[in-house]
Amino acid sequence: MNARIRGIFEDAGVRGWMHAISLEDPQASVELDADVVVPLASVYKLPLLAGFCRLVDLGELDPRERVTLEPSARTAGPTGLSAFADPVTVSLRDLALSMATVSDNASADALLDIVGLRRLAEILESFGLRRTWVRRGTAANLRDLQRRTGADDADAALAVLADNDRTDPVGVYEAANGSAASARDLTLLLRRLWAGELLSASQTEFVKTTMHRQIFLHRLASGFPHDGVRVAGKTGTFGALRHEAGVVTLPGGAAFAIAVLTLAARGDFRQPRVDAAIGEAARVAVDLLR
Amino acid sequence: MITERHLQIFIALAEEQHFGDAARAVGITQPPLSQGLRRLEALIGSKLFERGAGRVELTPAGVALLPYARRALTSIEELHQAAIARDPEGPEIRLGLAPEVPPSAGAAVAAACGSVIPGSRVTVVTAPTSSLVNQVGTGRLTLAAVLHPAVLDGLEAGPVSLLPTWALVPAATVDTEVVALRQLKGLPIAVRPRAEAPAARDLFLDTFALHRPDGGTVVVTDERAGLAMAAAGQAIVVTADPALIAPGVGRHRLADDPLPLRLRLVWSRTRTPFLRPNDVMAQLTEALAS
Repeated sequence: MNARIRGIFEDAGVRGWMHAISLEDPQASVELDADVVVPLASVYKLPLLAGFCRLVDLGELDPRERVTLEPSARTAGPTGLSAFADPVTVSLRDLALSMATVSDNASADALLDIVGLRRLAEILESFGLRRTWVRRGTAANLRDLQRRTGADDADAALAVLADNDRTDPVGVYEAANGSAASARDLTLLLRRLWAGELLSASQTEFVKTTMHRQIFLHRLASGFPHDGVRVAGKTGTFGALRHEAGVVTLPGGAAFAIAVLTLAARGDFRQPRVDAAIGEAARVAVDLLR
Repeated sequence: MITERHLQIFIALAEEQHFGDAARAVGITQPPLSQGLRRLEALIGSKLFERGAGRVELTPAGVALLPYARRALTSIEELHQAAIARDPEGPEIRLGLAPEVPPSAGAAVAAACGSVIPGSRVTVVTAPTSSLVNQVGTGRLTLAAVLHPAVLDGLEAGPVSLLPTWALVPAATVDTEVVALRQLKGLPIAVRPRAEAPAARDLFLDTFALHRPDGGTVVVTDERAGLAMAAAGQAIVVTADPALIAPGVGRHRLADDPLPLRLRLVWSRTRTPFLRPNDVMAQLTEALAS
């Protein structure tokens, strides 16, 4: 069982960590080093989404409240409000939507500021997550990378990680330095979310709907080339990290929570073989569990 | 008598849950692994694993005894380390070289080992990158010069050294001393098996394909075979070996050096016999690249 998953990762040139369970029978699992705590990259937006919805349930946040984000104060990034030129006024729930569907860094950091690191940590603990830590958002992550690389801006710092001719600065991929979780904790979060154990019915529905609307189909979803299979996920990409955690639902309703976390040997920004390997590993896991 | 090998087999089987994978992890074949397990179970007087179809699972006795086996193996490893440190003849340095390392560069590293650590005894083996990484991880090698990028999984690694390469092509294919990759048309590129270092190999061929859309590859066992195929007018070899020549084969510098040989020294954080490994490796890296 492990040999197949290991073979997929070896062939793609990545170190991989994985956990997959059937939502109906969570005792059966496919796993590879599932308890190792790995830096999350943008997958931290998944626990943040769950934490935000919990605060809505508690009445501590109003999902319709509007905030205005100025361009100068927004975190850089390729998608969503990060890419906009002008001030944006947006509701909290739309921040969450943009954060989760297009991995919008600006929305995520604004939402993290509102939720707060301490409040989020307490919520994640109450969810039963013992190996999940949201220690900082994307802006702080990029600042740390800039410090470690000595680069002038975030793009130059990321270019250092992408350069196959250079050595990665020490500590860039240390789980202890940033937001991190184990693959097993991610599937636990997904399982409890899907079972409606953590949030009200309406917030549970919001999380599921939002995650089904994620636009990235090149990782988990690439392993299931059939529209009858539904994939709700959240990807993470930072330097050589390539991740996705999500729920795959087969026609007929059988559903599987899967977290595939990888660190590629190559640094290139675009690594289609690694993306495909994440889908392949997910596919193998589902076939073993179904 | 319970031996170190028995303990290795117990722990590897518990981790891999698969006879073939466990055998590979221990560095033996499957029959002696099965035999060793039966012997250990006889010595202990209880069954440690349930053998199912394709799966191996710890019995309750196995679960209970596993921590003791781990502690015993760690103690034996510490004994080895202590013995190495006290050895009046100086430490034994077991150096691994990837087959792509030019003979002169490999010789320089081995010579530097001898001079950096006075009194040390140096032994050298050649093996593919994936095998070297594994052997350094399990302590069978002290350090190795391997291809970059490769999955290193917890090993320490020095900076990336870039060695210039030459194209060896059948005489009269091209007539300039310096050639561009796009000029190397028609003939396949001689490459080693991909599984030896998938990430490095993909990077090499992806770079080639950028400049040269056709021609393909031919898998060879070593540069000797590649050179012979070039002499026969059947292949192109890209080598970092400054001494690899043959009648009928032209040596050409590649314009802008697009395919440098990327090498790194790797070692294990916990198993190194050097008191200041970083200083030692810096000097060895210098020898590798000079």
